[in-house]
Amino acid sequence: MTDQTTEPTVKAQSPLSEAWDMFRRNHAAMAGLVVLCCIVLGAIFGPYLYPGKPFEMAWAPFSPPGADGFLLGTDYLGRDLLAQIIHGARVTLIIGLSAAIVTVVIGVTIGAMAGFYGGIVEEALMRFTEFFQVLPTLLFSMVIVALFGASLPMITLAIGLVSWTAVARITRAEFLRIRELEYVMASRASGASGRKLMFRVILPNALPPIIVQSALMVGSAILFEAGLSFLGLTDPNVISWGQIIGSNRQYILESSFTVTIPGLAIFITVLAISLVGDGLNDALNPRLRQR
Amino acid sequence: MKHQLKSFLAATATAALLASGVSAQETPKAGGTLVVALTGTPRVLNPAVQSGIVTGLPGAQLFAAPLRYDEGWNPQPYLAKSWEVSEDGLNVTLHLQEDATFHDGEPIKSSDIAFSVKIIQQYHPFKSMFAPVTSVDTPDEHTAILNLAHPHPALMLAMSGQLMSIIPEHIYGDGQDPKNHPRNNEDVVGSGPFKLVEFKPGEHVIMERYDGYWEDGLPYLDRIVARIIPDSSSRTIALENGELHLSTFEAEPTLVNRMMKADGISVSGEGYGGIGPIDWLAMNTTRGPLKDVRVRQAIAYAIDKNFIHKAVLRGTAKDALTGVHPDSPLYNANVNAYDLDLDKANALLDEAGFPMEGGKRFDITMELVPFPGYKPQTEYIKQALSKVGINVTIESVPDFPSWAKLMGTMDFDMTLDSVYNWGDPVIGVNRTYMSSNIAKGVWSNTQGYSNARVDELLDLAAQENDQEKRKALYAEFQEIVNEEVPIYYLNAVPMHTFYSNKVGNPPIGGIWSTSSPMDRVWLKE
Repeated sequence: MTDQTTEPTVKAQSPLSEAWDMFRRNHAAMAGLVVLCCIVLGAIFGPYLYPGKPFEMAWAPFSPPGADGFLLGTDYLGRDLLAQIIHGARVTLIIGLSAAIVTVVIGVTIGAMAGFYGGIVEEALMRFTEFFQVLPTLLFSMVIVALFGASLPMITLAIGLVSWTAVARITRAEFLRIRELEYVMASRASGASGRKLMFRVILPNALPPIIVQSALMVGSAILFEAGLSFLGLTDPNVISWGQIIGSNRQYILESSFTVTIPGLAIFITVLAISLVGDGLNDALNPRLRQR
Repeated sequence: MKHQLKSFLAATATAALLASGVSAQETPKAGGTLVVALTGTPRVLNPAVQSGIVTGLPGAQLFAAPLRYDEGWNPQPYLAKSWEVSEDGLNVTLHLQEDATFHDGEPIKSSDIAFSVKIIQQYHPFKSMFAPVTSVDTPDEHTAILNLAHPHPALMLAMSGQLMSIIPEHIYGDGQDPKNHPRNNEDVVGSGPFKLVEFKPGEHVIMERYDGYWEDGLPYLDRIVARIIPDSSSRTIALENGELHLSTFEAEPTLVNRMMKADGISVSGEGYGGIGPIDWLAMNTTRGPLKDVRVRQAIAYAIDKNFIHKAVLRGTAKDALTGVHPDSPLYNANVNAYDLDLDKANALLDEAGFPMEGGKRFDITMELVPFPGYKPQTEYIKQALSKVGINVTIESVPDFPSWAKLMGTMDFDMTLDSVYNWGDPVIGVNRTYMSSNIAKGVWSNTQGYSNARVDELLDLAAQENDQEKRKALYAEFQEIVNEEVPIYYLNAVPMHTFYSNKVGNPPIGGIWSTSSPMDRVWLKE
C-alpha cells in the first residue's frame, strides 16, 4: 500500500476568477476598465475636490481653455467648463446606469417569461417586443419626455422604455436553449416550481450575455441622453454632458471647444464602456473562450 | 462701426427718398427679382384678418394701407393722398388716390375703405385699433370719413403698415367667412404694389409687379420671391451664398455678429420701432412672494442687465426700461434703471419678510419660454437670483401652446416673454397693464397687474389728441409701472435686417420693416 496523501495537482477554478483571468489578458478591456474607474471616481469625488461651481458665472464668456486658471475655459455664460464637466459626469453616469437597470428589469422579465412559458405567452410577449422594436426610438422617447416633462427620472424611464427589446430577445433565446438542458429537466423532475426554475435554475446560467448587453446599454443610454439634451429635452436645473453640448451648439462657429470638450468626455466614457463590455463578452462567453 | 455707419447712411438715404420720391445719390433702377426670406408659412396672406409678421411681409406687398410712416414716426401719404382730423378729433377724413385700382382693375373706392374697416373690426385680433370707429361715411368715391365715438390718436398708426389693409368689397363681400375666405391665399385681388403669382405653403410666396399700380414708375422690382426658410442658420447661409437678398426680423445675436463680418452683406437694426418688440421678465403679481412689490424690486436689482446685454446679446440689443419700445416717441427713459445692487436687493427682501435662512429665502419657479434663444437668459436669471437667496427652479415647457395656456391662466410665477408694441400703445401696450384685461389669454395682462391710476392714465392717453399731453400721460404711466415692477424689462428684441449690398432702399427706413410696402426697393444689378 503506497501512501496516497498527494494533493490533486489540478485546482478547480471558480468561474468568476476564470472569467477575471480571461478579462485581465484583454489589454483593451483593461485599459477601458482603468479609464472607466477614473471617470467614476472623478464623478463621485470630483465635486468635493474641485471648488468650481457649475452654474456660477465665473469669468468672461468663451474664455479659451487655460485662460485665467480655467483649465477648460468657460461657456456662453462664462461658467467654468471644467466644473460643468465634473458635475455633469455624475448626472451622465447616473442616467446611463439607471437607464440600463430599467432596460434590464423590463427586458429580462419579458424575455424570461417568453422563453420559459413558450406557446401563447411567448407569442404575445414577442409580438409586444416587436412592437417596441419597430418604434423609432428617438422619436418615441422625445414624445415621452415632451408629454411627461423633462425631469431626470422621466428621461431615464424614456430611455429604458425604448431600449429594452434587445435584452428581452437575448434573454428569451438563452431561456429557450437552457430550458431543454438536462439539469433543468432534472430540477423540473424533482418538483421545482416554475418561479424557482426560472430565476434560480435557468437565469444564473443565462446571465453572461445579459451582463454584456447591459454593460453596452450604459454606453448607449449615455449617448441617448446626450441626443435628447442636444434637442433641448432635458432638465434645465441639472447639468449633464449632453446638455452642455446642446446649449453651446449655437455658438459652435465662434468657440468650438465648448462643444468638443463635453463631446470628448462622452466619447471617452462610451468607448471605455464598450471596451469593458467587449472584454466581458470574451470572458463570459464560453463558446468564444477557445478562440 | 463701419456697418453702423453704413446703415445710418442707408437710413438717411431712405428718409430722403421717402420725402422726395427720388434718391439723392443713386438713381433706382427698375427690374429684377428680389429674393427675401420668410421665417414661416403664413396662415393667410390677408392681413385684414390675421396679425403677425409672417403674414405681414407678403400681406403688405399685396395690400396697401392708407398711410405709411417714415423713420421719424411721421405719417406719409400712401393710398390716402391726404387726410384731416377734425378739431374735436371725432372725424378722420381720408382722400384717396384717384387712379388707384385693385389687381383686377376695379377702382379702389371709399366703400372699400368702409368695408375693410368693418372686416378688420370684426376679424382682426387687435380689437383696440378700430374699436372707437362707429361708422364710415363715403360722401364720394374718393373720400372716406371715419366717425369716432371719442378722439382716438392711435388710429393714425393703425392705418399704416400691415394693420389696415384695404381689401376689395367685390371679392370679400360675398358672404363667405373672411377669416377663411378662399381668396385669402389664392387668386388674391389686392390693392398693393405687387400681385400674387403663387403661394406654396412651406416653400414660397411669389409676387410680381402690379402694372396698374397708381404711382408712376413704381414698384421698381419685377418680382419678389419670398422663400419660406424657418431655420435661421439656413437663412444666413443662403445670404452668404447669394441665394437670398434680404432677411428681416433676425434676432439671434450670434448670427447678427456673424453677418456683420460677412462680405457683401449689410446689417441694420433700424426700422423695427413700429413692431416694437421687447423682451421682459414677467412676474405673476397675484401669488406667492411676488405679490410683494419689494420682492419684485429686489429681483430687478439682483439681475445684472449689463451681463445679459454684453454676454448673452453680444451688444446687439437696445436697452428697454419700460413697456414702450425705446424707438417710440412716447418712450420715457427717465425711469429707474435698477442697476445691479445686491445690498439693496437683500435689504428689500429682508424688509418684505423673507429672511435668509441657510443661504435661502424662498423657492420660486420660472418657466423656460419655448421660443428659440431664451435659455441663456433664463439660466442667468436663476443664477443671479440665487445670490440673494431666491431659489429658482426652471421648468421646461414642451411647446408654445402649453406655455400660452400657462400664461393665459396665470399658472406661473415668472417667465421671460417677448411682446410687441405694434405701433401705438393703445394697440400693443395697454393689453399688458389694463386691469380689465387680466388673464385674457397669452399676451394679455398675464401678470395680474392692477393699478387704478394706470388704468386711468391709459384711458386718458388713448383719447388725448394733443401729442405733448399724451406723451406726459404715458410718461407717468411708464414711471408707475417701472416703480411697481410687474414686469422687469430686459431689452428691445435685437431684430435686425440682413441685406445684400445689391439691394437699394432696403426696408430699414420706416418703422414697420417688411410689414410695409417694398415698392421703392430696387436691385443694383
